[in-house]
Amino acid sequence: MSRDVAQQAQPIKGLLPSSFEVLVVDDDGEILILVAKFLRSNGFRVHTARSGAEMNEALKHAPVDLIVLDLMLPGRNGLDLCRDLRRTSSIPVIMLTAKGEETDRIIGLEVGADDYLPKPFNPRELLARINAVLRRMRSPDQSSFERSGRAMQFAGWRLDTLKRELTDPRGVVVDLSTGEYDLLLAFLEAPQRVLTREFLLDAARNRSIDAFDRSIDVQVSRLRRKLDGVDDLIKTVRGAGYLFAADVTRG
Amino acid sequence: MGERQGGVIVGLWRRFDSLALRTTLVVLVGIGLVHLASLWTYQHSLTRELDLANQARLADQLLAIKRAVMRVPERERETVAHDMSGGPIEAHWSLSEHAVAGGPGAGEWEALGRRLREVAPEIAEDGLVIGANRRVVDDPHLALISIRLPDQSWINVSLVAWNARVPVGHGTLLSTTLMAIGAIVVSVLLVRWLTQPLTGFAAASKELYRSKEAVLVPEDGPREVRALAVAFNDMQRRIGRLIDDRTQALAAVSHDLKTPITRLRFRIEDVAEPQARASIAADLDEMERMLDQTLAYLRGDRADEEIKPIDIVAILETITDDASDLGHAVSLDGIANARIPGRRLALKRAFGNLIDNAIKYGCQAQVVVEDRPRNVIVSIRDHGPGIAPEDVERALAPFVRLEPSRNQETGGFGLGLTIAHAIVEGHGGSMTFANHAEGGLVVSVSLPKAQLPT
Repeated sequence: MSRDVAQQAQPIKGLLPSSFEVLVVDDDGEILILVAKFLRSNGFRVHTARSGAEMNEALKHAPVDLIVLDLMLPGRNGLDLCRDLRRTSSIPVIMLTAKGEETDRIIGLEVGADDYLPKPFNPRELLARINAVLRRMRSPDQSSFERSGRAMQFAGWRLDTLKRELTDPRGVVVDLSTGEYDLLLAFLEAPQRVLTREFLLDAARNRSIDAFDRSIDVQVSRLRRKLDGVDDLIKTVRGAGYLFAADVTRG
Repeated sequence: MGERQGGVIVGLWRRFDSLALRTTLVVLVGIGLVHLASLWTYQHSLTRELDLANQARLADQLLAIKRAVMRVPERERETVAHDMSGGPIEAHWSLSEHAVAGGPGAGEWEALGRRLREVAPEIAEDGLVIGANRRVVDDPHLALISIRLPDQSWINVSLVAWNARVPVGHGTLLSTTLMAIGAIVVSVLLVRWLTQPLTGFAAASKELYRSKEAVLVPEDGPREVRALAVAFNDMQRRIGRLIDDRTQALAAVSHDLKTPITRLRFRIEDVAEPQARASIAADLDEMERMLDQTLAYLRGDRADEEIKPIDIVAILETITDDASDLGHAVSLDGIANARIPGRRLALKRAFGNLIDNAIKYGCQAQVVVEDRPRNVIVSIRDHGPGIAPEDVERALAPFVRLEPSRNQETGGFGLGLTIAHAIVEGHGGSMTFANHAEGGLVVSVSLPKAQLPT
């Protein structure tokens, strides 16, 4: 079974989301029906499971690309299932939970979940997260970093991707809005490369669908201000977009 | 005058408001009074004894002089009398008496005469006059005793400084003072030892209020204090259980509501009419905010977030940027960086609530960050009706909204300020409300820069 799963974890499929298969695991039958229906209407092929046992059964029979896993399950809970799954497979997991405490989010990501969505969530938010995770899976080097290293460092600064926390060279935590965090992450994933406004807008919007209507220029200037007004870090490339000028190290 | 003095004493009493100080004060005054009284009686009796002894000695000396002078012939009498003088007395023989009764010290001399007659009746057998010197009548210190001899001649004895007494040694004063100081020191130590547990009680009950966690006081000391400690700890535990039960019940309800709200969020995807869909979504948003605030309130300042050095200005930038993206009138001025130890997410929630309130009730929020030597002050001004000073306490209480008429419009259910206040206090800071001279409420939050106790 483990080999099956491992093979399925490397989906080389078309760019159309319609070909992706999603497994939804939740003990609430109504939620299962509703989420499945919503994802199907958005072009996914959906499988459902009510427990860990059912989840493992489903994984044997279907080429699953992504698991939406509820944290509170009868028997083995979502954290245990995710930890077990990670021993044999790298299928992306989005964890759902009604708890919503910051530590739960961190633990969820630590046991190997790729993202974490607190209930109650918006269907569109789930869709955005699924798309973001699948997009990241398409480029292998990016999928691995989220799990292997939890921190990225640049010019004395440090971004903890588990805690979503930015620390300046003096060790002071600098708060970022969701948009600024996503933007910075997009820069850090592609340092020394010119990124177009469209790419940045897309990258940031995929994670959070909330009010990101401000132009990317405003977001970049806010991010620069948070980075102590160091203009050198994010360079404007006239007519093309922006470039992150510092070297980024991971781990 | 008396009233003013009374006022001063009451004022002084109020200033000495700790048990240890008051007890010390009482002990001090008490010991002082006893000290003075005993010193006075001691000195009094000592003087009396001395007087009696002096008088007896004087009587003996006078008698001896009288007898000696009587035995010798007249021409030697003056010599003998002079030879027998000594100490405070000086005797002379003459044919007439020099003393005259009465004068300034009459009462005392009369008493002396009575005493002499009593001790040695022989002195006065032939006549005795005690009084001032005929020639220097008004000197009260110079008593003159004239004793008549059987042959009608006189012995005149001048008594120099009759009233001079042997002074009481300073040793007595010193030893009693030392004793008094000793007693005071012992009583201060005793009182401190007795009141120490009480101070512990006060600290523990403050801590219970602050952290909502019982800090048990040691159950030792005198029996009464021990009993109090046991009862106090029991009370703390019961309060803790009550809070826990309430928290768990409320948290359980809040958590359980999350799943149905999630379901509803999916169900409205099927609602065809956009108008209905938007309003249901708005209702769900409000319910979600309420749940979120309730859970934040229940978490209180016990959030499991660790304290780190954070930039409070960056947090305020995030909040004001988000608010201005939503079309609200917000501004942020003051210093560009302000480093304090704190919990980032908690402070973000606290200031988010305060700025939300300013926008909701005061149409706009003007945020100013000031750097002070020990604190960072964040003031948030709005242009609303403000809060009357007597309502401030009520505004901080959970589930209280000051303007019931505006409930529907403003949403929320009265936890925003409560949560913000708890978080600020959890950071060792303080929050004050003032109404701006030109209208509007100013909420000032002061956060310490010093390291917080964890």
